Amino acid sequence: MTGILAFSLASAEGLPRSALELVAAAEQLREELGDGIVQVALLGPDAASYAETLIHHGADEVLVASSPELQSYKTELILAVLETAIEQVSPAVILFPADTVGGEVAPRLAYRLGVGIVTDCVGFEVEPPPSSPPKLGGKEGGQSLGGERGGGCIRWLRPVYGGKAMAYMVAKGPLQIATFRQRAFEPLPEDTSRQGKVQALQVELEPALAQVSLVEEVREEVEGISLDEAEIVIGGGRGMGGPESFSELETLAEILRGAVGSSRPPADSGWVPHAKLIGQTGKILSPSLYIAIGISGAPQHMAGISAARTIVAINKDEDAPIFKVAHLGVVDDWRQVIPALIRACRELVGD
Amino acid sequence: MHIVVCLKQIIDPEIAPGEFQIDPVRKEQIRGKHALVISTFDENALEVAVQVKEKTDGKVTALTIAGEEAVEALHTALALGADEAILLSDPAFSDADSFAKTRILAAALQKLGQFDAVLCGRQAGDVELGVTGPFLAEELGLPCIALVANIESDSDRAHLRRPVENGYEILEAPLPFVATVTNDESNVPRLPTVRAIRKAVRTPVPVWTAEEIGIDVEPEAAKIELQELFVPKREVRCEFVEGESGQEKGENLALRLRELTLI
Repeated sequence: MTGILAFSLASAEGLPRSALELVAAAEQLREELGDGIVQVALLGPDAASYAETLIHHGADEVLVASSPELQSYKTELILAVLETAIEQVSPAVILFPADTVGGEVAPRLAYRLGVGIVTDCVGFEVEPPPSSPPKLGGKEGGQSLGGERGGGCIRWLRPVYGGKAMAYMVAKGPLQIATFRQRAFEPLPEDTSRQGKVQALQVELEPALAQVSLVEEVREEVEGISLDEAEIVIGGGRGMGGPESFSELETLAEILRGAVGSSRPPADSGWVPHAKLIGQTGKILSPSLYIAIGISGAPQHMAGISAARTIVAINKDEDAPIFKVAHLGVVDDWRQVIPALIRACRELVGD
Repeated sequence: MHIVVCLKQIIDPEIAPGEFQIDPVRKEQIRGKHALVISTFDENALEVAVQVKEKTDGKVTALTIAGEEAVEALHTALALGADEAILLSDPAFSDADSFAKTRILAAALQKLGQFDAVLCGRQAGDVELGVTGPFLAEELGLPCIALVANIESDSDRAHLRRPVENGYEILEAPLPFVATVTNDESNVPRLPTVRAIRKAVRTPVPVWTAEEIGIDVEPEAAKIELQELFVPKREVRCEFVEGESGQEKGENLALRLRELTLI
């Protein structure tokens, strides 16, 4: 059977949404390959308590390593656990979130094992190899997922050139690694009757292996809804003209129960904190509604928001590229449009 | 502190989307008349290195694996504050994949001798794989810190600031280490002065070949293959909300959003 192993690190804040997204991706991969088992390597100080949640969302088996040592910056220890997990279950595919931890651990693991890695994927398709004979009888051990060796060839889809183009890439060999962008997959609905296997990973962690230590951690309290969770996102761009204009967007966000983000110029000019940046190098979001104000629609910005179900653009330049991707558009000065929009929304939605 | 920055030269990523063209057969961007520049995050990495140098009186070396055309990028790096720049160039390097490039960079670092940190941009602005830094850390057996914004250092340890959700963390690493750099308001690349550019273009850039860094790049089957490159067609028809004035358009937009049950 083809093992599809998803990696997740659950920090003190709990199980990240990406864990459920990866399980959904693994489940879809299993379905398209027509064979396989969805496994999760779940690490973290309190990992064991989230194993059931993963099973309820589609995992068949959860390999758990719980230890206070398993922190995001102790990547040497994370790698040691992963090596044990791989030895134990011999997966054919390993999926990582394309976040700070996955972005470092996945390539290091690939280099250590000498296997192909495709990063920052947003999807995939499975193609039977052109010359392969029809499937007859059982497969041999499920270790034949490579680019040319049958069992279905996985074509990983990922953006390149700052989102201006897309690429299908194939990794060769018996084991391949892929990292997935946030929000590329929706978690599967919860099914509390679902059963699965939970297994503790037997690993001797050597704390001395970890070379990086945490000196200080600063988290700011966020008022209202965070950008990552917001179903309605309002983005301001260079056309906002300055930091003070963003307070109008905050007002609109408050009424619509959304959150405010920005394209690169306001973030680079310090009008808003960098944490508000939406785009290739900032947040990658998939809200149901995105309202872009004074944003031209540069590809590196759109890379962070193109998954929005509906895009509304307000821009005084009718030739702005944003209107090529927007579903609804208003060509006018936002200074005229936004106050009226705020008033009307307040009436329609109520406070 | 001696910091080595690994750079890549790419086609200017800031061109208008309409001017972006690909060759689907060769599976790469068509350069046309566009300029070649230092990849965006590599410029951030260079800025971080130069800031450390300015505080601690260190040294910055820029490295790139490329053909002769990349001398221009290395001159830019010198103008931006690098003290030396080295081009790793050899016909044998032309087919190198990420694994082979890692060994080439590692061999060059060995030839350089002493260094305290190796910085890479978080990912290249073209293929965006983002593996060079972590690969290099594995090859060199050094600690790796991903996605840092800036660095402070004393004699034998460094403090690296890494932005995280709604805040940041300060991580401590022993020297030498490998770090990847992300963009941040603290590392917006400076603009070179005319004087610095003039001086830089007169600075010779040594070229190190495979033989000079003592590496044998054997042709190996690449572990990943780019099968298809395409520009996605977005077939969205924008519905324009009309009105006599901006205010009326704003009101009509709210009504339309309500009709579509979006708000």
